[in-house]
Amino acid sequence: MDKAVKIPKVTIAQHGVWTKETRQEINHKAVTGQHRVRGMGAITRFPNFDDLTVLPAQLSRLSVDTYRESCVTKTSLGSRFASKPLEIETPIMISGMSYGALGKEAKTALAKSTQIVGTSINNGEGGLLPEERDNSYKQVVQILPSRFGFSLESIEAADALEIICGIGAKPGLTGHLLGNKITKEIAELRQIPEGIDLYSHPRHGDIFGPDDMVLKIKELRDITNFEIPIFLKIAAGRVTEDVKIAVKTGADGVVVDGCQAGTGAAPVVASKNLGIPTLPALVQATRAIEDMGVKDEFSLIVSGGIRDGADVAKALALGADAVAIGTGANIAMGCISCQKCHEGVCPVGICTQDPELREKLVDDAAQRVANYITAMTNEAIIIAKAAGKTKLSNLEREDIRSMTLEACAMTGIPLIGTNFTFTEPFGFF
Amino acid sequence: MESLTITDQTSVEVNQMLRRLIKEHDELRIENPHSIHNLGTALKGKCKVTINGSTGYFTGGFLAGPTLEILGNTGWYTGDNMSDGEIIVHKSTGSNCAPSMMGGTLLVRGNSGSRLGFGMKGGDLIVCGDAGRWAGYMTLGGRIIILGKMGPVIGESMYKGVIHTVDPDVESKIGNNVRVVNITESEKQAVTALFEKYQIDHPVDQFKSVIPLESGRHKYTLFNPTHRQSSDANVNLHHKI
Repeated sequence: MDKAVKIPKVTIAQHGVWTKETRQEINHKAVTGQHRVRGMGAITRFPNFDDLTVLPAQLSRLSVDTYRESCVTKTSLGSRFASKPLEIETPIMISGMSYGALGKEAKTALAKSTQIVGTSINNGEGGLLPEERDNSYKQVVQILPSRFGFSLESIEAADALEIICGIGAKPGLTGHLLGNKITKEIAELRQIPEGIDLYSHPRHGDIFGPDDMVLKIKELRDITNFEIPIFLKIAAGRVTEDVKIAVKTGADGVVVDGCQAGTGAAPVVASKNLGIPTLPALVQATRAIEDMGVKDEFSLIVSGGIRDGADVAKALALGADAVAIGTGANIAMGCISCQKCHEGVCPVGICTQDPELREKLVDDAAQRVANYITAMTNEAIIIAKAAGKTKLSNLEREDIRSMTLEACAMTGIPLIGTNFTFTEPFGFF
Repeated sequence: MESLTITDQTSVEVNQMLRRLIKEHDELRIENPHSIHNLGTALKGKCKVTINGSTGYFTGGFLAGPTLEILGNTGWYTGDNMSDGEIIVHKSTGSNCAPSMMGGTLLVRGNSGSRLGFGMKGGDLIVCGDAGRWAGYMTLGGRIIILGKMGPVIGESMYKGVIHTVDPDVESKIGNNVRVVNITESEKQAVTALFEKYQIDHPVDQFKSVIPLESGRHKYTLFNPTHRQSSDANVNLHHKI
């Protein structure tokens, strides 16, 4: 052969185990000796509501006119013991994101959006920002172990209380707010030194167990004159046991936060490896509430990876009374998911305390979030009406089917094309 | 003085009655408290309420003005989240006394259990007897004064605030991210004023102060191998439980 044959070189772009991200993780640890902390929460692909489909009404039942007949979206939460339950226009709430993790303008915009659509905002850790309370339609106030900025006045300003036991993005861990976001104002509100890396208190100093929680809730009932609802927020883990305990503590409802939930900062290992996804958590929570015989009175709110109206409709069908959104609302305000929330360098002015960056928040942030919630609610209505419902809350588990064996086994909802489940059936057939 | 006798009322009923009577009286007295929980929740205004006996958990939670004088013992979480006023316990308290306390004074004439002043944010907590472990954990402010012996892990990861102690072993008992210094003159004056007010006979010169690190920046060691440390090395016994 006169000319040597040039054999193309094969470049292996990606190794099955030693991926680019894995190699970067190892190098980070090799240099720092520390675990990595990052914003946004888990990036793992989890089973989610896409693995379910809703059955449309045809001959066995009639669908409802999408554009002309009405569908009730008003949602009432926490009426178990509270005389003034949380009444909102849509079952989509804005979840707790702290002033500190988010800038003042972003928090205020979120609050304003709740006025536009008639829903609630949750203050998150670090105190209740006056601009948030002044602009919110309904204000949920969190009671966290740290009690940063929390006082009797916070309770008196609330339309509902939420006692935090855990959050889905880092269950078993607590708030991480790194020094570049702890400005003078944030430090004063939280009573901490300026510029430190803050790792919040791990557990409530006045609630060291479920029996103490019973007394704490009684104390809060006394303060609020049995008027406003008291919810417990738990990260999804041992959901069955935790929800049953929540019922026994005398709360009005529970917020179950799946492991897809977002956060301003968390150890990557925690976001990636702790907790269970929202979908199976919701099924376990509903089962637990039904086992306790309180389905009609005990509110169930789910959060963690809720993206659109289909997620809302399916969550309601599986037993939720409402959902809470965080990351989705931030994306509506311009978040590009750069996962640098912890660094305080948010290029779109949401998760930052830098005055110059905060100016980059889009002018119509409040309206965009309101539009997003409106469109999500529209989508949920479209699905509910197609399934023959005149109320979103009438969606039920018989209306849905599993698209995958995995979802079927996880939820107990029959696989499409069958009336069978490959696990404990979930309430029908 | 108006006197109440608790029979079969719930804590909510008793507290509602107290809130009403506080507006009309300068002094109130509660007989037979039956150690009920949640007694004196979120009371406001100015009034002295004397409780002739012992109370349960969460005594004087969210207190915002009045003086509660308990002639017996109190349970866990005494004075949780209190912002103003006084709680004076003549005997001892259970654990987690004054969690997240914001202001006012909590005086314990006897002993107090573990984790007193957990996440405390302000006010004065005085214990005339001994105190359990993990006192002043992650405080954000306030002053804790202990006249007796203290358990281990004093002031773990305090952000702000001060713990005054006369425990001779304080150096070996402190938690991480805090240091021991001598009490300052201004602190002596403040403590002396408190002691005079509450008729506590104790010299103030002997106090040491446990305070946060100057930088306020905490360091945490999750994995701490000890096999290569010599016996005389400064072994960091993190979280000495």
